[in-house]
Amino acid sequence: MSDIGNWNDAARELDAIVASFDEGEVSVDDLFAKLERATTIIETLEARLDATKARVDELAPRLSRVAESE
Amino acid sequence: MSDDEVGTAPVHEVGEFYQLLTAQLESAFGRRHPHWVRGEIAKVYEKGHIYVDLVDAGSAAADTKRPVLNAHCWGTQWAPLKKRLAAEGVTLAPGVLVNLFGYVDLYAPQGRIGFTITQIDVQGLLGDVARRRQELIARLTSEGLMEANKKVLMTPVPLRVGLVASPGTEGYSDFTGQLLHSGFGFEIVLVKSAVQGDAAPPQIVAAIETLDSADVDIICLVRGGGSKGDLACFDDERVARAVAAAKRPIFTGIGHTGDESIADLVAHTRAITPTKLGEEIAAIVRSWHDRHVRLPAQRLLDAGHELLDEGTEYVAERRRTMIFAVRDRLRGEQRHLEGTRAGLVVHSRHLLATAAQLLASSRQLLGAYDPKRRLAQGWSIVTGPSGAVVRTLNDISIGDAVRVLVSDGSFESTVKEKDGTP
Repeated sequence: MSDIGNWNDAARELDAIVASFDEGEVSVDDLFAKLERATTIIETLEARLDATKARVDELAPRLSRVAESE
Repeated sequence: MSDDEVGTAPVHEVGEFYQLLTAQLESAFGRRHPHWVRGEIAKVYEKGHIYVDLVDAGSAAADTKRPVLNAHCWGTQWAPLKKRLAAEGVTLAPGVLVNLFGYVDLYAPQGRIGFTITQIDVQGLLGDVARRRQELIARLTSEGLMEANKKVLMTPVPLRVGLVASPGTEGYSDFTGQLLHSGFGFEIVLVKSAVQGDAAPPQIVAAIETLDSADVDIICLVRGGGSKGDLACFDDERVARAVAAAKRPIFTGIGHTGDESIADLVAHTRAITPTKLGEEIAAIVRSWHDRHVRLPAQRLLDAGHELLDEGTEYVAERRRTMIFAVRDRLRGEQRHLEGTRAGLVVHSRHLLATAAQLLASSRQLLGAYDPKRRLAQGWSIVTGPSGAVVRTLNDISIGDAVRVLVSDGSFESTVKEKDGTP
């Protein structure tokens, strides 16, 4: 998985790619490269989300026990 | 008294005289003619029976001539009376004002007149108890002791609980049960104490002092329900002062609903029963736990899930956007190419048509120069020996055989003469 920086940096780069599409700035020559980069960012963010969710799911029952304790 | 009266007065034996005297007393003050007598107890002695020396209220003890009523109550009658007084929290003691109901008896062997008690005015005594209680409250108030312990700062999480109680009693079990089943890790430091009777006040005071020096957050005085007499030790001035002087917050759970001891009034916090006291202490800890542990944990949990949901939604939305953006972009390019291709076809066809038209024109124009047409008009074409068209005289020489092409054929001829005249 390539380096996409932290979540905010990656989100900014992804937003910029989407914006360039919205504004019609992407040439056909660049299209694949940009799509490939966007896909990489999305997959990396999803993987990070999944990993974070898994860790949160591990901790959540412990926090729930505290939150539901009387 | 005249001499006659003296002379006629009867002479009695001592025993006979006491019999007469007893008869006279009984007719006016005897068992069938009981009286109420009001006074202040000067002395009291109890051993199965109770003996009370009653004097006029406010009379000086040093006055040797003050009247004294030697009253007594025999055991069979004293036992139920004592129980009733105890239930109301009343103790017969020197200084107590009391109304005694009974009758006079004469004890001949000692020549003493006594008073046999059959009833005691409890209501009057209760009024006295209430008065003394109010006096004590007034004293404590004037000394600022009613509020002293209330000003003591309490830790927000009182988990180390000093307990003054009598183990095995219902109040003890009710109180400790609430703490132990609260789910919190209460640590109870018990100092045993009697919680009723004359021995209780000094023991309670000692227990408070012991716990005040121990590593506890609060000190609880706990005693289950009982008669006013049972609870009287918590109205004791020594106990009240010990509570006021304590450096730790004193909590009370004494008696049941409706009971209010002076210890309750002086204490930092009071509950109406031991059970309620346990509940209130657990509630204090629970409130802290809610504010500082449970709710933050819930907020953390909610915020974590919210953040993850936002992240998931963001990535999903970006994924959809990218798919549509790329698809739109490609479709745009495809439409552009198709448009270009269609344009090219139309353009080419137009060019072809134009070319065809030009060709036709050219063909028509060229037709005018068709040699056959010229030959038909009478023109002929001469070619020399080399086969080349003879255009000038220089192309032939005298004697050359030339071929002459006409409209319907050709013939051969020989050059005999060249004439430069056109």
